[in-house]
Amino acid sequence: MANPMHLGFQDAMSPLMEELLYFHDHTLMILFLISSLVFYMISALLLPKLYHSSASDVQEVEVIWTILPAIVLISVALPSLRTLYLMDETNNPCLTIKATGHQWYWSYEYTDFSALEFDSYMVPTQDLPLGHFRLLEVDHCMITPTNSTIRVLITAEDVLHSWAIPSIGTKMDARPGRLNQVMLTLANSGVFYGQCSEICGANHSFMPIVMETIPLNHFQLWLKDCMSS
Amino acid sequence: MSVPQYMDKRNHPLPDVPYHRDLSADEKALTEKQKGSWKELSNEEKVALYHIKFCQTYAEMNRPSNEWKTVLGVTFMFLGFTGLILAWQRYYVMPDKPHTLSDEWKAKQLKRMLDMRMNPVEGLATQWDYDKNEWKK
Repeated sequence: MANPMHLGFQDAMSPLMEELLYFHDHTLMILFLISSLVFYMISALLLPKLYHSSASDVQEVEVIWTILPAIVLISVALPSLRTLYLMDETNNPCLTIKATGHQWYWSYEYTDFSALEFDSYMVPTQDLPLGHFRLLEVDHCMITPTNSTIRVLITAEDVLHSWAIPSIGTKMDARPGRLNQVMLTLANSGVFYGQCSEICGANHSFMPIVMETIPLNHFQLWLKDCMSS
Repeated sequence: MSVPQYMDKRNHPLPDVPYHRDLSADEKALTEKQKGSWKELSNEEKVALYHIKFCQTYAEMNRPSNEWKTVLGVTFMFLGFTGLILAWQRYYVMPDKPHTLSDEWKAKQLKRMLDMRMNPVEGLATQWDYDKNEWKK
């Protein structure tokens, strides 16, 4: 999650997010180049003391500053499309989890093995244990295994919601009556926080998403525990 | 713009028409004199010849004004007034801060984030030395 005064993205916890970070760095570098060039051009025009406005001729440079932006745009578009299609890939998932948005909580269903279903409500600020994160902690978090392809099917019960976790680069709208799919591959174990990203009423800011990723053997133990209880 | 006119503009150095079109007898004499050697012209004559063609000198045209003082002063006044409004708002309108922003809570929270190894690639967890239990130098 983000720390106070955090600028920039959270560290990537999935390969997709790494791709997004690389693309962002690439595009930002191009933006810096363009901005500094424009800044230089404006200062070169404004700072000299003498300038005859009717004695300047720009025919050749017009061609250059039409072709060059086209090339720059292509250099931005190609990595962008690559990352976009990477995000849409479907490799056979090991596990399917259904995340349903309600007003104002999330519920998760693990129906591959058994009918495991639970709700995930935010812990109110007055009930937070010392040192826990305000508006981010939930009573039951979504547990996932590491190094496995997970399909998350996202839907909503009532109004639009959006299931988002920044550190793994996932955001998908939850539409009532529709199942949206995201594929996750988590590289390391940890706890990842996110928040509902589509306005859904009074407590829109108070329905966080917490995903705890644990090694596969621990995940199996957890499943067994849940099924037995 | 369609009729040639005189203008004192920095980015149009040579105006379309001279400043004085109808010359007096003295000025006509001067223009005749300038057709000869310029070494015979005194400084006052050169300045007078300049003023036939041009109204202002470059120094006069480009002279700075005191407008910036007014602009800066009024801007600061508005900023100060805004500050007063914000202070009033802070005191009379806004509610207390949540208890999770106390120093003790923030310290515990930071410890928890370090224990959970948040942002282990380039972020928070990389700044803490887990062996020596202190921030990395």
